[in-house]
Amino acid sequence: MWLKVPLIIFIFWFETLLFAAEAGMPQLDSKYWFSQSFWLILIFLALYLSLSKFFIPKIKNNLDDREKKIKDNLDEAKELSELADKKNLDYEKEISNAKKEVIKIITDSKKQLDKNIAQKKEKFEKELEKEIKKAEQEVIDLKKMSGQSINSIAEEISSKIIENITGDKLNDSSIKAAVNEVSKNKIGKYL
Amino acid sequence: MAANPMHQFQVYRLGPEIKLGNVDLSFTNASLFMLLSALSICLFLYFGSKQKKIVPGRLQLVTELFYNFIAKMISDTAGSKAKPYFPFIFTLFMFVLLCNMIGMLPYSFTVTSHIIVTLVMALFIFIAVTIIGFLKHGFKYLSIFVPKGVPVVLLPLITIIEIISYLSRPVSLSVRLFANMMAGHTMLKVFGSFVISLGLLGGWLPLSFSVALTGLEILVAFLQAYVFAILTCIYLNDALNLHH
Repeated sequence: MWLKVPLIIFIFWFETLLFAAEAGMPQLDSKYWFSQSFWLILIFLALYLSLSKFFIPKIKNNLDDREKKIKDNLDEAKELSELADKKNLDYEKEISNAKKEVIKIITDSKKQLDKNIAQKKEKFEKELEKEIKKAEQEVIDLKKMSGQSINSIAEEISSKIIENITGDKLNDSSIKAAVNEVSKNKIGKYL
Repeated sequence: MAANPMHQFQVYRLGPEIKLGNVDLSFTNASLFMLLSALSICLFLYFGSKQKKIVPGRLQLVTELFYNFIAKMISDTAGSKAKPYFPFIFTLFMFVLLCNMIGMLPYSFTVTSHIIVTLVMALFIFIAVTIIGFLKHGFKYLSIFVPKGVPVVLLPLITIIEIISYLSRPVSLSVRLFANMMAGHTMLKVFGSFVISLGLLGGWLPLSFSVALTGLEILVAFLQAYVFAILTCIYLNDALNLHH
């Protein structure tokens, strides 16, 4: 039922259309053909001229500007990125240089320090040796001197002891001889 | 008045009668709607290209869309040699499109529903393309009628067919547009009058048809403008790049 209705309407419409066409299509009435052609050519020509001389170049300019701007921006971005890469490379180079320098400084100062220490050590050792030698000399001198002074002290003490015991004073030369004899025998034991 | 579906195609004089000798060149409703279409195009393109924005607004976007659409169509069908004809094809497309679209408004007049209008355009294109072909290739342009790779026996027949098809180009081009416009508008009118005659009870069905047909007709209006322009490009391609 619902399918039939549009079909009937369509047939009815088609018949009216045919009938109307028979009755006369205004399109086939030649009365205004020249007028329509004339105005069409006039208006189309005017439209063509205004579009080709004014509007189309304007739109094209717009589009070209945009394309150029995008291209310029891309170029600039590329340039900047290249610059950044270069800067980064420089930066890395500088860092590695600085690292090398630091290592050099460290090794240099270490060397210097070692050298200093060695020098100081050597100097100190030399001084120490000198001191030791001096002290040894002094000891030897002291030994020598002490042998003599011990003799004289022993002579003195002996004469005083003898004097105290006997009450007589003995002559010095005999005491000296006695002390000398004793010390010759015994001094190796103590010194 | 409204009962006759062909009444909408009636041409009548507006204003005074203009006569050039014996020829009537009066300003008619057809002329008025041609003028309206042309002015709408100018207005649309004016506002569409007024602001030079990097990121386009709506109108600018549509304008550029049309521009790129036509530019792509020309370069796809006729190659780079057809670039100088871009303004003409752009104008042609916009004019036919706007005439069709303005014709879709109720109580308006459809300029392109008249055979004389489409025929003048088609004949102009036909003659211009033929002249361009002869200017570019001289008498070698006649080889368009002799396709390559055809057996010698069939050659006379094929050549006659090619000549007929070439000569029928303006007819097919103009009748296609005219018939589509006329049929569509007649149909809309018929369904519209059915809504009235069937009344509140039965009028809903033709009304829904009318709504659907309006959408279809808007599609046809665009499509026919596109077909008109692309066929012009194809004819131009034959004239510019002779490869048959």
